[in-house]
Amino acid sequence: MNPRRSISSNPASTVKSRFTNGFLQALLRINRQRITSTTAYTPREIFRGYLRVKIAADVSMASAIGSRRAWSRAILRKVRSHGRDGAQVRRMSFLAMRKRNLYGNIKCVEDAGFHQANVLRKLVPGGEAMDMCCLLGETAHYIKCLKTQVKVMGRIAEVFST
Amino acid sequence: MDGHENEGILQCPSSGMSTNPLPEKVSGMIMNSVSMYKHSNGADPFFSSGWDPLVSLSHNENFGGSSMVSHREFASTPYPIVLENQGISGTSHLVQYPSSSTYVELVPKLPCLGSGSFSDMVNSFGLPECSQIVNSECPQNYASSKEDGTGRTSTNGALSQDDRQMSGEGAVGSSPNAKRRKRVSDYNNSPVSPRQNAAGETEKDLSGQSSDVQKESDEKKPKTEQNPGSNFRGKQTGKQGKNASSADGFKENYIHVRARRGQATNSHSLAERVRREKISERMRLLQELVPGCNKITGKAVMLDEIINYVQSLQQQVEFLSMKLATVNPEQNVDIEQILSKDIINSRSGTGAILGFGPGTSSSHRFHRGTFQGTLPSISSTTSKYPLLPQTVLDNELHGLFQVGFDSCPAVDNLGSNGHFKPEL
Repeated sequence: MNPRRSISSNPASTVKSRFTNGFLQALLRINRQRITSTTAYTPREIFRGYLRVKIAADVSMASAIGSRRAWSRAILRKVRSHGRDGAQVRRMSFLAMRKRNLYGNIKCVEDAGFHQANVLRKLVPGGEAMDMCCLLGETAHYIKCLKTQVKVMGRIAEVFST
Repeated sequence: MDGHENEGILQCPSSGMSTNPLPEKVSGMIMNSVSMYKHSNGADPFFSSGWDPLVSLSHNENFGGSSMVSHREFASTPYPIVLENQGISGTSHLVQYPSSSTYVELVPKLPCLGSGSFSDMVNSFGLPECSQIVNSECPQNYASSKEDGTGRTSTNGALSQDDRQMSGEGAVGSSPNAKRRKRVSDYNNSPVSPRQNAAGETEKDLSGQSSDVQKESDEKKPKTEQNPGSNFRGKQTGKQGKNASSADGFKENYIHVRARRGQATNSHSLAERVRREKISERMRLLQELVPGCNKITGKAVMLDEIINYVQSLQQQVEFLSMKLATVNPEQNVDIEQILSKDIINSRSGTGAILGFGPGTSSSHRFHRGTFQGTLPSISSTTSKYPLLPQTVLDNELHGLFQVGFDSCPAVDNLGSNGHFKPEL
């Protein structure tokens, strides 16, 4: 896969390489912690480890992108403020929708694709506060990054399994 | 949509130019080339910082100013520079990057990227017939612009012959821009420095379609001393018959959109049209990203496909993270090994993982029966995307682990453990 954009002139600092580095570091940390813990193989621990790895993957991808895209900012925001209670989260999403109504030309339900747009907003991180135009742009970028993520993680799994 | 594009790109408002097959071809080529250009060029608007095309185009700005006046022929070398300036104008209206615009009429980025980079495409793809077509269009535009500029004939003499021909050339490229100038409410543009390229704006004025009150009123004041065609523009202010946004007044930092022939000239519908075109542009890009969506025409179906694809990608990530959580890494993990996967096709690679992963090393930690029970169902699941059967796996896993679990403590654990500090 071609390296995508580089922030610096260094050709090795692509999104993919940054993500790989960050993710591998997180993986090694998680594994070290898992090895030291005694009950490593109960289902509960396995599930916890799975969640950790999943969040590590998302966060390392968002960090590789930085603050350039709204979805990466949303992921980092979510991680930094993971202690919010549910009520506050709902309040935030309500405010986000109001903001979207204000700034984006949101059309009402009759627009073809309103329902799908809502589903898409839930899928793409940070999609609540976006109008359709921005949402589509963010979705495109997000899809590209997800593809990178899948490829790199697949490769890592291969390397680890051999 | 394509019909409107054809109309918009090469239409002279007061000319009797009948539609000929050439406009469709040019517009079609423009549209195709936009997508090709976006992919072949590294400055992808999504993946560049957004301003890389601007940076690369701005290098030509200086060249464009000097070479503009010199050429008479419709050679391909001055032509791209002419259009590069159009491109600069087009892409430069965006909020965060006010400096390198040459034109204040700020057009939506994406359509103009197509038109402005047309010259790049002509050069880079080496389509000689493309430049021939455009060159043959230009005399027509030039002639028609001559016809409808009754008040302009006197001022035409004031300008050099070169400028007129440049404008004729530029008319093709600029006419897509000319069609999209309108104050859009959600398009909050910062004050852009008025065009530094005097010759370029002359040429913009000369093209028959591009008569805008707003732009001229802005530019007149700072540019009168530079621009030889300022009286020309003054005369052109009288010719605002079809400009729907003239009623908006003389405001700066607006996107100027012209009503197309036969379209409603209400400002709301113009804004709607701009917004719809932006959205359809993004949908086209998404169509190329999502596999198997080339034949889908329809927003709702396309959105369904996009949703399915995003969901499947997210599930793949979840599956792989589950796999990685259970596998013990080797001591020396070579990053080069991971980054240099050149041969592996994503399909076959990840398909191999799916096929063998659960069954081999990691599965002994799970309920073996569950996985082996799911594997046959995986093969029977029809899916478009290579790893969609993970939905089955996921359900099983969640069923396994959600009994008596609450995931919140697990997540809280993560924060306190500091595993996921963003400074990764």
